[in-house]
Amino acid sequence: MKTRKHKSDLVILFSTLGLMALGLIVIYAIGPMRANVLNSTYGTNYDSNYFFLGQLRSVVLSLVAFFVAFKWIPYQYIKKFAKPIMIIALAMSVLLWLLAVSGSSLAKCELGQCRWFNLGFVSFQPAEFLKLALVFYLADYLARKKEEGSIGKWKEFWLPLLIICGASLGLVVIAQGDLGTGVALIAIIFGTLLMSGIPMHQYLLMLLITITVAVGAVVVSPHRMERIDAWVATLSGGESSDSTYHVDNAMLAIGVGGFFGVGVGNSVQATGYLPESINDSVFAIMGETFGFVGLFLVIAVFAALLLRMLKVAEGTAKLDDRLLVVGVFSWTLAQVVVNIMAMTGLIPVTGITLPLLSYGGTSMVFIAFAIGLVLQLSCYTSREVIKENEDTSSRRGVGRTYHSSRRRRS
Amino acid sequence: MPRSKILKSVVLFSLGVILVRLFFIQIIEHDTWVAKADEQHTLLETITARRGEIYMMNKGEPTAVVLNHTTYQIVIDPTVTEKEDAEEVIKTYAKDYQTADLNQVYDTEGLRYSIIAKNIPREIATKIAESGIPAIWLKKTNQRVYPEGELASGLLGFVNAEGKGQYGVEGSLNTVLAGKDGILKTTADVNKVALSIGNDNLKIPAEDGKNVVLSVDSGLERGIEELALKAIEDTVATNAAVLVMDPNTSKVIAMANLPNYNPENYTTVEDASVFLNYTLEVPYEPASICKSFTYSAAINEGVMTPDTTYFNNHVEYVDDWPIENASKHSFLYGNIDMRTALYWSLNTGSIHALKLLGGDTSSINQQGREKLFDYYYNKFRLGRITGIELYEAEGFIPDPNEGWGRDSTYANMTFGQNLSITMLQTATAFSAVVNGGVYRTPTIVEGTFENGELKKGTNVEVIEDKILSDETSATMRELLVHNRDYLVRAGVDRPGYAIGGKSGTAQVVKNGVYDDTYAELVGSYIGFVGPEGELPKYVIMVKMWGEGRSVGSDDALGLFGNVSNYIINYFKIKPRE
Repeated sequence: MKTRKHKSDLVILFSTLGLMALGLIVIYAIGPMRANVLNSTYGTNYDSNYFFLGQLRSVVLSLVAFFVAFKWIPYQYIKKFAKPIMIIALAMSVLLWLLAVSGSSLAKCELGQCRWFNLGFVSFQPAEFLKLALVFYLADYLARKKEEGSIGKWKEFWLPLLIICGASLGLVVIAQGDLGTGVALIAIIFGTLLMSGIPMHQYLLMLLITITVAVGAVVVSPHRMERIDAWVATLSGGESSDSTYHVDNAMLAIGVGGFFGVGVGNSVQATGYLPESINDSVFAIMGETFGFVGLFLVIAVFAALLLRMLKVAEGTAKLDDRLLVVGVFSWTLAQVVVNIMAMTGLIPVTGITLPLLSYGGTSMVFIAFAIGLVLQLSCYTSREVIKENEDTSSRRGVGRTYHSSRRRRS
Repeated sequence: MPRSKILKSVVLFSLGVILVRLFFIQIIEHDTWVAKADEQHTLLETITARRGEIYMMNKGEPTAVVLNHTTYQIVIDPTVTEKEDAEEVIKTYAKDYQTADLNQVYDTEGLRYSIIAKNIPREIATKIAESGIPAIWLKKTNQRVYPEGELASGLLGFVNAEGKGQYGVEGSLNTVLAGKDGILKTTADVNKVALSIGNDNLKIPAEDGKNVVLSVDSGLERGIEELALKAIEDTVATNAAVLVMDPNTSKVIAMANLPNYNPENYTTVEDASVFLNYTLEVPYEPASICKSFTYSAAINEGVMTPDTTYFNNHVEYVDDWPIENASKHSFLYGNIDMRTALYWSLNTGSIHALKLLGGDTSSINQQGREKLFDYYYNKFRLGRITGIELYEAEGFIPDPNEGWGRDSTYANMTFGQNLSITMLQTATAFSAVVNGGVYRTPTIVEGTFENGELKKGTNVEVIEDKILSDETSATMRELLVHNRDYLVRAGVDRPGYAIGGKSGTAQVVKNGVYDDTYAELVGSYIGFVGPEGELPKYVIMVKMWGEGRSVGSDDALGLFGNVSNYIINYFKIKPRE
């Protein structure tokens, strides 16, 4: 079954590069407006090219990360360090929390949420690193447990998993107040779990428990309930209020775009009406600028990217490799769907970036690196879909046999 | 089902839902969202037209008496502006100009754009703009400034808080002065700054108001106001109005109403009657002044000369109603001529002129009444709108053939009672009497001031009507000069000048009847001045009065004398050598 190295998946390569280029164009068009709005409202002094240059820097760094992951660092090497990387990532989040609690200037806070390390010349969001680390860790952990045959067992499998995942979620959602990243982490966890071959009834039970906890967390938090109320108000076409302002204006931007959009540089919503116009709301601005046609293409590109990732996963022989691809896939899917659904009023607003398009350095660099690894693995897929392992909870032995036999042959 | 198919389904399902949703928002609901966006993005702003300034003449040169001064207001939006920033702006720059309590502004629910300071001069506004304090807006406003203070306030009027002219020139010529505001419809950003995005942007530029130049001479106006104020001090009168016009052009060159008020502080005025321009907004009975008109009519009709005589017994019964002379000197009893009757202002004399107009010296008749009405109303245009550029009252002349007691009414009318006319109507008619007999519509607008130049012209439709013969006018001048002979002897009028005039003391109607106690009288005087042997150069009318004050025509006569001498000096009118 060993497959020879072949050409990488061109769809993944070009959709990634295309999305980055598109993001750059959009920020080029609306960055000056953003600077203008901030300058006149908050008395800042941003140059009109500030945001474009910032995005350009992010894109350049992301391209470096992407190609480094794609060409230079074999995943086989990285996965040996999955555990230490996870520990470092968790440690960074703990450190950030401690810095924030102690009021250190090294922790950068906005609106009471401390999510960044402030290193002077650059700021860094450890939660983004945590997503990547969790993908590495879960791919390694699940594949290992599968091989050991302990998958699905309470003490050997579930307990360590729950501790790691609980710690990650707790640090991100509670300490950093970052529900968006929390959603992405949950998607990564359940995406990889699904493909790891755990018994379906355990999977469904875990899903149910997680949903219950999530609903409980929302109900006890007035801040989150407000968002739910706002969402219900938006869905039911109720009165606009401060809390529905964001989604109202996102939908307004999208609606104004119509079929062909208002054209690059003609967005009015970007001139301060739509909050987070260059970050979380960039999809709405693209809707205004490029219209339904443009958004259809953007979604088609994301669909192609996601489906090709799944195809790579299906064609990847080794379970840990495959779980890495699925982890990156889940991560991307969660961000795309949650972001766009929030912008179109389908779900409550959650602060989450649109991969490769939103302004913001850390998130783009990490997801570019992750997709780069998928691209690397796309060079080793077999033509035929690996059939077994898809549903092997009752065929534990077969898995082991398969792996050992493959190892022998290599 | 293979588990990767589940993930594939999740991708296709969620992206499918999103596409359907986008189709719904972008295609089906497109128009609704565009309408909402227009509402949110469109900035409809009025471009305020600059209000025209007001000029007077100063010995032939226009000089500004009402100017615009640009000031600024601080506007904040409590939902955007930080309270600390607003406080800082007020504390550092605009403490003296604060108009709103910040705590109140910030505590009021739902309050958006609020003015927190007003009347900020440009220098301070510039400093605020440069301070970089965020979310503070400066709004330009125009303020009226009156460099001459209270000068001619009754004539000029004022501009109210809404920017609308009230009373006087500001009120009458508001549309000319105000110009036409323009409209700016643009797409604007969230801070209400216009964007160049959007194709239905609209800009209709403002048409600035015109600078109006009045024919009033500012120096003369000031001098006359000082004299009138002094006359108020020196007599029992509380008010005085003075009107000066050129009888040959009917241009008004002074129009004073005393006491004045400060148009910048018009809100502190308690009695709104101070705002009135008594020279043309308040009709009254100028009394014996009108004898000039009755005499002119009779002389012009050829039924009377100054030498015509009649029997004066100091009282005349009309409709069984006794009409007495004010001065009943015994030496005037018996046959006297009309010149003497005018000199002593005998009511029996002017009644006799009315009888002569009717062709029957024994009584007043319809022909006499109709003739007098024809002169008063049709020729002298008394009791009618003159057509001057300002607000004016119409007044009233009784009909010759209707109403009760027509003969006594007309008998009274011959000496200026039982009618109501304005000073401007009186002075314009009097100008015709002395200028050679031409009635000319009065004007007060000399033209407009554009690009530093006076552009002459007014939009008044000027009526020019030769109503009296040259001879009649010459005879009237002679009679009116004769009236002031004693004043030349007394040294009031200087030799070498032709100064003529007629006084009038009006009883006041109280509760519908003339008050015979003479507790309140209105004194008036009208006259002309010019070099001897030439047509008069100026017609001057003076009115003095006061609530419950018995102001005699001698008070008005005194002020007239001061004004006529002031005019001779001011315009350096040379006496006949």
